[in-house]
Amino acid sequence: MPRLLLAWAAFAVIMLLLPQVVSPGTLRIIIFANFLAIFAMSWDFISGKTGYISFGHPFLIGIGAYTSAILSYRFGVPVSLSIPLAVLATMIGGTLFFLPALRIKGTYFALVTLAFMELMYQLVQVIRPDLTGGTRGISGIKTILSGAVPNFYLSFGLMFAIALALWLLSRTRIGTALDAISMNEEAVSGSGLNTTRLKLFAFMVSALVAGLGGAFYAHYLGSIAPRALFDINFVFTIIVSALIGGSSTVIGPIIGAYFMTFLLEYLRPVLPGSERYLVYGLIALVLYVYQPKGIMELLRKLGVRAGGGRTGRAGNV
Amino acid sequence: MRKSAARTGLAALTLSLSMSMSTLAFAADTVKIGFIGSFASDAGRSTLRGAEIAIEELNAAGGVLGGKTIQLVKADTGEDVTEGIKAYEYLAETEKVEFIVSGDVDDVSLGWLPRMVEYKIPTLDTWTSSITIIDKLVEDYDSYRMYFMNVASDEALATLYVDFGKDVLAGKMGWKKTVILQEDTAFGGAINGLVTGLLAPEAGIEVIDTIVYDPSTVDFSPIFSRAVDSGADFIYIISSVNSQVVSSQYVKQQVPLAMTGVNVAALGQEYWEDTGGSGGGISTLSPVPSVGFSLDPVSQAFADKYVAKYGSERPKYPHFNGFNAYFGVKQAFAAAEEAGGFGLDAWVPAMENQDLILEKDGQMWMRYGFWKPGEVEERTGRTYPHNLRFDITPPYDDGAPSMVVVQWYEDGSSKVVYPPKYANGEFQVPSWVKQ
Repeated sequence: MPRLLLAWAAFAVIMLLLPQVVSPGTLRIIIFANFLAIFAMSWDFISGKTGYISFGHPFLIGIGAYTSAILSYRFGVPVSLSIPLAVLATMIGGTLFFLPALRIKGTYFALVTLAFMELMYQLVQVIRPDLTGGTRGISGIKTILSGAVPNFYLSFGLMFAIALALWLLSRTRIGTALDAISMNEEAVSGSGLNTTRLKLFAFMVSALVAGLGGAFYAHYLGSIAPRALFDINFVFTIIVSALIGGSSTVIGPIIGAYFMTFLLEYLRPVLPGSERYLVYGLIALVLYVYQPKGIMELLRKLGVRAGGGRTGRAGNV
Repeated sequence: MRKSAARTGLAALTLSLSMSMSTLAFAADTVKIGFIGSFASDAGRSTLRGAEIAIEELNAAGGVLGGKTIQLVKADTGEDVTEGIKAYEYLAETEKVEFIVSGDVDDVSLGWLPRMVEYKIPTLDTWTSSITIIDKLVEDYDSYRMYFMNVASDEALATLYVDFGKDVLAGKMGWKKTVILQEDTAFGGAINGLVTGLLAPEAGIEVIDTIVYDPSTVDFSPIFSRAVDSGADFIYIISSVNSQVVSSQYVKQQVPLAMTGVNVAALGQEYWEDTGGSGGGISTLSPVPSVGFSLDPVSQAFADKYVAKYGSERPKYPHFNGFNAYFGVKQAFAAAEEAGGFGLDAWVPAMENQDLILEKDGQMWMRYGFWKPGEVEERTGRTYPHNLRFDITPPYDDGAPSMVVVQWYEDGSSKVVYPPKYANGEFQVPSWVKQ
């Protein structure tokens, strides 16, 4: 535990020093990676931990983003209030999201969550477009900070705080019980634990993270549009980030998000057109086929090799 | 060993220093500008190519701002809102461009707009027609003053289209009821709002049904059946994605109702080829200059140059935003020459004063100028700061028309049928539709 805490501290120090050595352009890429990491961690807390695969995570992110955007842009609510209210609204949305999990799981649950996202996409455009901005969304949302460096610190601080909290949570008995649900829910239930309450807890935590990330994301972008949020590509980017990095861990989705974001952006000068999406997809696919447990597992194996073949475990990071 | 390492080190240092010096020298002799848009769409490529031709001409004429060469950096958005924001950040932070020309759809432009305000980079939009952006200039001119849009905003476009509805659809054809076929996209929703809220009530046409369809629809038979059963006099189509599919199926199935509206595929010369020759009898509104539009000599020279250079690859003929990018980039540099660069305090007023009047047969035909802040357009009674100086009142002698209606005929030709000043053909319903 102290060694792992030390690793977290080292990670934080390196990241905090980063603006001294990298360009503002690179910091902008990291900001997007930080937000993607938040969304991937949120997804992983439901899907990686409990095994309930969600295809509709933007539903939760969207509630957070739209609630804070509408409150601040349309009603002049200060961001310090609109963000907590957005998180609250997302947690209420998370309860709705949880209801299907009481009755169904597997493919059916994934499809129902996908329907949630589609429903939200339609509702945002049809219900009160004067508030949501309809199909074109809202542009000119109040930003919290301006410039690459301040936004880097804000996004990293938020991502780091969430990651640390989730990591600490995963080391508790609740975290262990949630891991067990993904392996055998019936066995967990048979051991006397209330799986419904455990799952509700996981959904609430996931919704809290998604809401927080979504609200800050909207205030970073300064604009919001239904096509950008409730989009199948967005869902896949979140899921692939978690899987490529290493599901059921905290650091895995962060690594995956950084890998996916940097890969796409670093291809831009070389392949400015749509070919880069093809190369990006191919690299992700090859990596996933080669190592389904993700980059975390690759790093663990490398660590074992460097350590002279001593068997190791990635640890619950 | 140590000596050779030192020699290698010295050589590397010399090489890197000389490379840095040459990079600096290159940077001092160039003006870097950015293109942001969709590389995959015909309209996006039109903008890019229009900008490229303008840059070639400016560079060939001795360069700009004291003989500097213009260098264009391209950033693809893939028509994705978030990618658009990243692309704008890339141009601003990594490439440090001084001016940006954009060729993309509305929500992508609205997405990167806050970045434009943050970076304060002069930006010209050649495709987006969102009035929401012009409204931002009305409300907060100082923050958004670096933005220019040289296509008529959708409100102006709709106003002239209402005239078409009154004069032709209701007046000439006697149609009173319509059924809307709207694709499920941001664009589709926005245009539907304008049609139901403006065209229908103003022209006395009742919208009796609205059918929203998925843009990936491959079989339109049930949709057309429902439209015919609705009892409408005509179909109002709103399609920007895979528009050739709905058109060709309409023709092949010989749907017994006339169809007009907005069909983005029909805005390009490739339409006929894309529909396999089944695209006749359909009309669409289009920004200018459209296909079938009689060009003035200056625009014609650009179109000829475009065809000579790109005539073998899509789009073989420039879309409206290709013209806009060509003239817009030239105007942006003309303003920069006057202002001594792209510094906003001097460049913005210089750009506001750019005014290119293109004449045909001794009369104003097209105009690339901008509405100034506070200047009121008479018919709508409102201001349109930094929007293309359009004219929506006959005889259209104060600016370019905000739109025209293009008719595709069954022989594969296309003509402009409205407004009358620009019309070189007749509005027609397909031969299989009984009037």
